[in-house]
Amino acid sequence: MLLKDKVAIVTGGTRGIGRAIVFELVQNGAKVLFTYLKSDESAGIILDEIKELKGEAEAIKADVRLYDEAKKVTEETLNKFGKIDILINNAGIIKDKALMMMEPSEWLDVINTNLTGYFNMSKACIVTMMKQKSGCIINMSSIAGIVGMPRQVNYSSAKAGELGLTKSLAKEVASYGIRVNAIAPGFIETDMTKDLKQKDDLVKIIPFGRFGKPEEVAKVVTFLASEKSGYITGQVLKVDGGLAI
Amino acid sequence: MAGLPFDKEYHIAIMADNKKLENELRVLIAEIVEIEPGKITPTANFVEDLGMDSMMALEILASIEKKYKLRIPEENLPKISDLTKTIEIVNKFLNK
Repeated sequence: MLLKDKVAIVTGGTRGIGRAIVFELVQNGAKVLFTYLKSDESAGIILDEIKELKGEAEAIKADVRLYDEAKKVTEETLNKFGKIDILINNAGIIKDKALMMMEPSEWLDVINTNLTGYFNMSKACIVTMMKQKSGCIINMSSIAGIVGMPRQVNYSSAKAGELGLTKSLAKEVASYGIRVNAIAPGFIETDMTKDLKQKDDLVKIIPFGRFGKPEEVAKVVTFLASEKSGYITGQVLKVDGGLAI
Repeated sequence: MAGLPFDKEYHIAIMADNKKLENELRVLIAEIVEIEPGKITPTANFVEDLGMDSMMALEILASIEKKYKLRIPEENLPKISDLTKTIEIVNKFLNK
């Protein structure tokens, strides 16, 4: 139980990597509040499954693109659990297209959800963590933010921006005992990648010869959220099967 | 003031409280910023005039909350920029 009695917020907790993170944290003893944007049903199913595991979790419908909603998430967490130890910024979308075909709205949607959403949640939590003189923020970025990906100028830009946010904030709040790190997954088996047309070609360029599993990313989250990584901040940990070496 | 009832005792009490509050806040801020209390004039800007690290606003806010058993929402942090504005905020939440 690496995270016993820790309180964690996970944004975008009903699908893919976010869902795996929610279960991983609960199984390590954390109390988790996760956000979702659309499916009340998915959130309910996850809460039922967590109850069966005798874990403690709450779900809240929130659009983290809006600061007021992010604030609502932190207030709900404080009302329910009394503190915020861990923030996992994870909610994200893709709208892949070649730049020449990309609408300005598709650029903004991706930037607002992936980058501004991370800013909003971090800002909404940071004063609580600073007062506590402890806390841990983990930004789920992507190797797309490190090496760049064709047809993803919006997503890659947002993901690279998250790394800048991670490093700057890490320096800003280190003296308050708050650690800020990022994880950059490669190709992971989720809804986001299931319809990739060039999947077979992509597998060939991954040294491990396969896509990763959401649980393999979630375990790294536990490490970065726990005291085992107590002297690590401002870092980007790639979880990509060697793709971006 | 024309049109308003004038209660001299009430005003004196408020002014006395404000002076007490001002002095207490001056000492509290001086301890955090580590300067002489006398340098904290009513309108001296904490960052530009007193060399305060902008992050110290949070230390001041947290200390005020603890001392007066208040909860001041963090949206007020940017307003903690000089003694007068800080007194205004504390008064606002003391009266709530």
